[in-house]
This record gives sequence, structure tokens and C-alpha cells, in this order.
Amino acid sequence: MMMNCDQYREAIAADPSFDGGAGHLSECSSCQAYRKEMLELNQRISRALALDVPELDVPELPAIETDKVVTLPTRKLSSPVWMAMAATVVLAAFVGFRMIGGGVEYPTLADELLAHIDHEHVSLVVTNVAVSDERLTSVVPADIARLDHSAGLITYAQSCVIGGHSVPHLVIQGEHGPVTILLMPDEMVSGPQRITGESVNGVILPVGDGSIAIFGEREESLDRIEKEVLDSVTWST
Amino acid sequence: MHSSKAAVLRRQRFDQYVGVYHQDMYRYAAWLSRDKAIAEDVVQEALLRAWKSLDALRDENLAKQWLLTIVRRENARYFERKRLETVDIDNLTASQAALLAVEDDKELDDMRQAIYELDDDYREPLVLQVLMGFSTNEIAEQMGLKQGAVLTRLHRARAKLAEKME
Repeated sequence: MMMNCDQYREAIAADPSFDGGAGHLSECSSCQAYRKEMLELNQRISRALALDVPELDVPELPAIETDKVVTLPTRKLSSPVWMAMAATVVLAAFVGFRMIGGGVEYPTLADELLAHIDHEHVSLVVTNVAVSDERLTSVVPADIARLDHSAGLITYAQSCVIGGHSVPHLVIQGEHGPVTILLMPDEMVSGPQRITGESVNGVILPVGDGSIAIFGEREESLDRIEKEVLDSVTWST
Repeated sequence: MHSSKAAVLRRQRFDQYVGVYHQDMYRYAAWLSRDKAIAEDVVQEALLRAWKSLDALRDENLAKQWLLTIVRRENARYFERKRLETVDIDNLTASQAALLAVEDDKELDDMRQAIYELDDDYREPLVLQVLMGFSTNEIAEQMGLKQGAVLTRLHRARAKLAEKME
């Protein structure tokens, strides 16, 4: 149903970025003029609201007991593990170093993922608060994958860049802390890659033409989580 | 993670947020309180509170909303403590007048004063929309209102400003 003048003016005065009512606007010169007035008024309001800001004066901050803050420990892969990985894992499709935005190079997908998780340590918080369905839908859009909630309580969802592709980065709560899940429909691996270090237990699983990475704490048992994640994700492509 | 390294990372994270959003925090506090000195106090208190509860922020994308919510609460606390009287536009204190001080620009001066004189109910959603770039949904969430109420207030706020600026 086409808007009338009152409806259109109310909408544009409430939000000058309103872009509905195109049908009415195209036929009403009066509302076209009103819209122009509102946009100009908004510019004047914006200018007036932008007060000068005094120099930042950060107060003295008390010490915080960071031991109580849950973050994923620094990853230090022990030599024997790396040697074992080199011997048993087939790193398919990656010849030489992986070039990432900003000129950062990683020898393998696993290295890039671990660096990414450490960079995004804000995701690794113990909590029972789930992200909203709306948030989950925006991070895992239907054209990437279908995801149901059987993998567990999803407490973090963010679109991140891995290997130059935007991928959903999710966190669920495992038995020993947060567990990171990265859905990578464009990262093909030839077989499961196990990553075990002093403070990490992870796996990159081939799934169709892509892969899914799962990383938890060293003590985390991934078998059940792997199965639940694989059951809950279906690629859309 | 070693505690000292965790502490350094925590401080870096805090500094990053504050560096990006300090201006927004101050301007929001200033337009809520309509007083330069109070705004500075509110921002100081808000920074302290943000530092103490930084680990509660799980989604970096929500940092701005989170910080502005803290500012809003600190402003409310400040006025609860002080029980300040309603501002009389013709009898401003130096600190209140300092907020309105502009360079030699009558149009800007008039608009700033018109915004200053708006009721809190109209001024706050306008600041959140125009200055902070919030959607009406986000404003509704921030202010604990229904979206329809936010749209009505924004519509009336602009109507009042347009009338005053005629």
C-alpha cells in the first residue's frame, strides 16, 4: 500500500535515512521538498552535536587479577608434536607460505588458525549466555552453511577472515572451557589434521570441499564435539 | 597464559576501545548532563567501571554500545547522588555555558542551544541516532523503549528543532 504524505513525513522526520515510500516520493513534490529540508536539518543537528572533546585523561586504573580472566593460553607446540604432525599429516593444496592480508605469512592453515584464535582471545570466555539467533544467522548466512543448535551452546559468533575468505568463527562451551569452531567451506584439506600442543587440542576436519576446525583446551576431549559439530553443519554450496 | 602477559593484553584491549570511543563517550555524557564538568566526571567514572568489567564484554562489535551504556548509567548515578536541579537556560553555570560555547557562528550557536533546551526524552535519542549512528532498534534497546516510542520521540525532536530554527 502506498504511503500518504503524513505517513511519509513522519517516517522521514524520525529517520532521515528512511528509504521507503519511493512510490509516494516520486509523485509528491511537496514531500520531496520536505525530505530535502529534513536532510539539511539533520546536517545542522549533526554539526551542533559534535562538541569539542577535551584531551583524553584516563584515570588511574586498579590492578585486575588476570588469573581469574579466562583466555586461551599461548600456543606452544612442542617439537615432538610438530615432528609427528609433519610425518603423519598431509597438508594438501598448500605449497609454500600462505599469504594473508597485511603481509603476514603462515606456513600452514593450522598456524594461521592458531594465530587467529590468539588474536581474537576476546571470544574465549566461560559463559552460559548464548548469542542471539539473529546474530547467528548473520554470521552463518544461508549461502555458506545451515547450522542447527545440536553442537551446543554457542556463546560467540563473528565473521572472520581465514585464507582470504570470510568464515564463521563460533565458540561453544566445552567441558574444559571454550571451544572454537571455524567453518571454512573454501579450505580443502585431504584428511583430518590433529594439532596438539602444551595448551591446545585441535583438529581440522575435511568436510565436503571445505573443512571445519575445532580447537579446545589441552584436556578437552574432542571426539564428541567433532561428531556433534559435523552433525549440525551442512554446507550450502 | 602468564598473568603479566594477560594483564598487558587486557590493558591493550582497554586502550584500544577507549582510543576509538572516547570522543563518543564524552559527547554522549555532555549531551546527557548538559554540563562540561559533569561530563568529564561521568566519563572518568565510566572508564573506571569499564576497566573493571572489561571481561564481561564478549563481542568486540558491541564495544561502543557497551561503553555508552556505562556512560548512561554513570550519568544517572551522578544525578542520583547530586540531585541536581533542572537547568534554567537563562541562568547557566559557567560549566553549563561552556558546553554551548562556539566560535563565531550564530547558526551553530542557535542550533546547539535549541538542542540543549530539548527535553531529555527527545535529546537523548537524537544524540544516539545522529551522533552515534544507532538504528532506532538499537536506540530502543539502549533506552529501554519500544521502537515506536523512539520513532515518535525522534519525529517530535526534529519538529521542535525545525520550529525553533525557523
